[in-house]
Amino acid sequence: MSAMDPTEIFRQEASELFEVLEGALLDLGQRPDDRELVDSAFRALHTIKGSGAMFGFDKVASFTHEFETAFDRVRKGEIRPTQELISVALAAKDYIRALIENPQSTDDIIGEAILDDLKRFVSSDQPAVAVVEIAEAPPLAPGGSKQAGWHLFLEFESHILRNGSNPLDLLEDLCKLGPCFVVPITDGVPFLDEMEPEDCYLKWDVKLHAACDKAAIDDVFMFVSDEMKLTLSPLEHVEAPVPAPLLQLLDEEPALAAEMPAPTVEAPVVEQLVAKAEHGPQAQPEVKVEAKTEPKIEPKAEAKRDDRGIATVRVQAERLDELMDRVGELVIAQARLTQLASAGSDLSIKMIAEEIERLASSLRDTTMGARMVPIGSLFGRFRRLVHDLSRDLSKPVEFVTSGEDTELDKTMIECLADPLVHLIRNAIDHGIEDTATRSANGKSEQGRIELAAVHSGAQVLVTVKDNGGGLNTARIRAKAEEQGLIAPGAALSDHEIHQFLFHPGFSTAQTISALSGRGVGMDVVKRTIENMRGSIDLSTRPGQGTTVTLRLPLTLAIIEGLLIRVGEGRYIIPLSAVEECIELTAEDERSRGRNFLNVRGNLVPFLRLRELMSSSGTPDQHQKTIIISTGETHVGLVADQIIGNHQTVIKSLSKLHSDVTIFSGATILGDGTAALILDVAQLIALAQSKVEKQHISEAA
Amino acid sequence: MSDGLATEHQADAMQVVMIGLGEEKFALDAGLVREIIDPVPVTKVAGARSFVPSVINVRGNVIPLADLRIRFGMPQLEDSADTRIVVIEIELDNEPVLVGVTADKVYEVTEISQTDVQQTPRVGMHWKPEFIRFIAKWREQFVIVPNMERILN
Repeated sequence: MSAMDPTEIFRQEASELFEVLEGALLDLGQRPDDRELVDSAFRALHTIKGSGAMFGFDKVASFTHEFETAFDRVRKGEIRPTQELISVALAAKDYIRALIENPQSTDDIIGEAILDDLKRFVSSDQPAVAVVEIAEAPPLAPGGSKQAGWHLFLEFESHILRNGSNPLDLLEDLCKLGPCFVVPITDGVPFLDEMEPEDCYLKWDVKLHAACDKAAIDDVFMFVSDEMKLTLSPLEHVEAPVPAPLLQLLDEEPALAAEMPAPTVEAPVVEQLVAKAEHGPQAQPEVKVEAKTEPKIEPKAEAKRDDRGIATVRVQAERLDELMDRVGELVIAQARLTQLASAGSDLSIKMIAEEIERLASSLRDTTMGARMVPIGSLFGRFRRLVHDLSRDLSKPVEFVTSGEDTELDKTMIECLADPLVHLIRNAIDHGIEDTATRSANGKSEQGRIELAAVHSGAQVLVTVKDNGGGLNTARIRAKAEEQGLIAPGAALSDHEIHQFLFHPGFSTAQTISALSGRGVGMDVVKRTIENMRGSIDLSTRPGQGTTVTLRLPLTLAIIEGLLIRVGEGRYIIPLSAVEECIELTAEDERSRGRNFLNVRGNLVPFLRLRELMSSSGTPDQHQKTIIISTGETHVGLVADQIIGNHQTVIKSLSKLHSDVTIFSGATILGDGTAALILDVAQLIALAQSKVEKQHISEAA
Repeated sequence: MSDGLATEHQADAMQVVMIGLGEEKFALDAGLVREIIDPVPVTKVAGARSFVPSVINVRGNVIPLADLRIRFGMPQLEDSADTRIVVIEIELDNEPVLVGVTADKVYEVTEISQTDVQQTPRVGMHWKPEFIRFIAKWREQFVIVPNMERILN
């Protein structure tokens, strides 16, 4: 594998940071007083600036610097993040993104305009100062002339040395900013026999006597900021230089050295101390006291801690796919082994087979788990969409998400993005009424869109709910009649009428705008969802809103299936679609022409799989019917035998079989033969078209 | 390699796998052939085109099994001890696709030299000319070098 382009890595990282930044900014619009959000936005900005500069994105770095400087005032609580400010900040974020992704398409003028806007907002209360501050990154640390330096408390992760970072180099860099007084804190150093030679046990207490910018200090620790706790507080005044305790420390050098984790680490520290002592009238008396005072932990440090709670590794998605493939093959091989073992009489082989079965299934679960991504990463993207749409359409909308932790296969999340954009656009554009209509109807002026995800068995339900006017059933019906999809006056339930929204090219919107008309592209949404072996439901209440529910399987790679036999062939029906299995009664059997089952009083159309598969031989005496459903439509499938559950590893069919619609894929059974997976949606459509034909022929 | 080039590059030889279908012999470009396996249980695909009636499991991949005899309108023989499945890789819509091809017999991997290459005769052929890349001579017999991409599309 070729080495990754570092610029590409930066781009990837940046795009993640943009998500964080955007999320924080949008949240800030709702909760302007949340310090955490300001800090997280600031942190994202700072990292973009830092790595931007490192990878040669100078424009990005300089623009972000200006942005950061402006935003710093928000961080210090000098100005409140208003909606207008958030909008400008979002524009600025987009501009940086453009600078990184497509520098040619942007113009400096845009950047300047955005900066001007930013300056206007942040300087509104204290114009003079602010302008100066922004025009040139403030060389003076906040706090003004009284500020004489910084008091730093450094605590590194114990494994920092193993990553090749050397705290001493960092301390040296720090010393370049100005005279430093560095005191190592040895509290954490264990006894020699408990000591890990490669761990770092020292902490440092540093007094930096230089009126430098905080950013300059952050820059020093930029690369290790995730692996350390940095507490910064301004030094109020220069303290009198009394180096006595320091000398005392030096006297203790031999003892100290013995305590040090590794002499190589320790020696330069002491050298440094000596150097400082020689140079230094800056050292101050209360070293020990200072070191012992409980360091004030800034939110930054806390947040970093939380992030670190779960260690993560970045893995290329293809590798996970490959792993999944291998596990799929393992599951197949294991099924064969189990079959072989159960046929024989060797007990020890059986035991091994069982052991392997258990291992394979837990390996499968773990691998699938590794591909799972919380859906929140997807939801985050829509907040911007809602924000922009609600502004453009002047419909104030409250956007509520829930179930962000719900996990779905990574591939599914990617496939879901477009359909959800569509549904949310529809909800705002057509679902939510304009303010006047809403207040006329006694509703709150602000509309509400809820995006929720929830686990339900082996499925995940994603719902988009608006509290708008609901679907206009009469209008949909009129449109369907106009397009000749139904005969005028045909008796149809509201539910059936709503299904026309999924008809290709069906739209009740009169004009084509940048925003979709309700119905435009709904067929695409439906198809995308069905391709993921999911289904889509619509429910609506006039005047109260519409809910679109997407039912999705947890993963695309492996499903629970029901293995059935039809003639000589074996087929898989996705278990999630199976409602129940019943025996085909003699009465049903007789009604050859009708092809309807009476299931507890409901008429359910059924398909004879033997006919569909043109099976040879005589059918089994007792035919079984498997009732499958998508949403509210039920269809029976008549098979010869129901074999049982089957862990189905899905293999796609090749291009040569792309014209075959009733199968959605294939899998490999325990005996090594291939079995085809029935496409539930297609079979239901097929059954329904047969029913319609029957209606027509009966009517004629 | 296009058909037109065949007569120009006299010196060039072409590696082929000689297979038999019924009474006819075909030379498959060895570059296409991935492996040759014994017959495996096949799974019929209802509703598929007649010349790709089924799928098979080859090392955990489900691949289509094509029957050229149907494509060429030849009688189908029962599987015999000589029957093999030749797995070839072809390009369909710019994507590599593995396809199994049933052969009544696989003879050998050999070279046919381009000097042996004959132009496709216009008459006396009972299959469509577009299925044939060219006709070559092998052991004093005419063999067909089929155009697999065309045949399977």
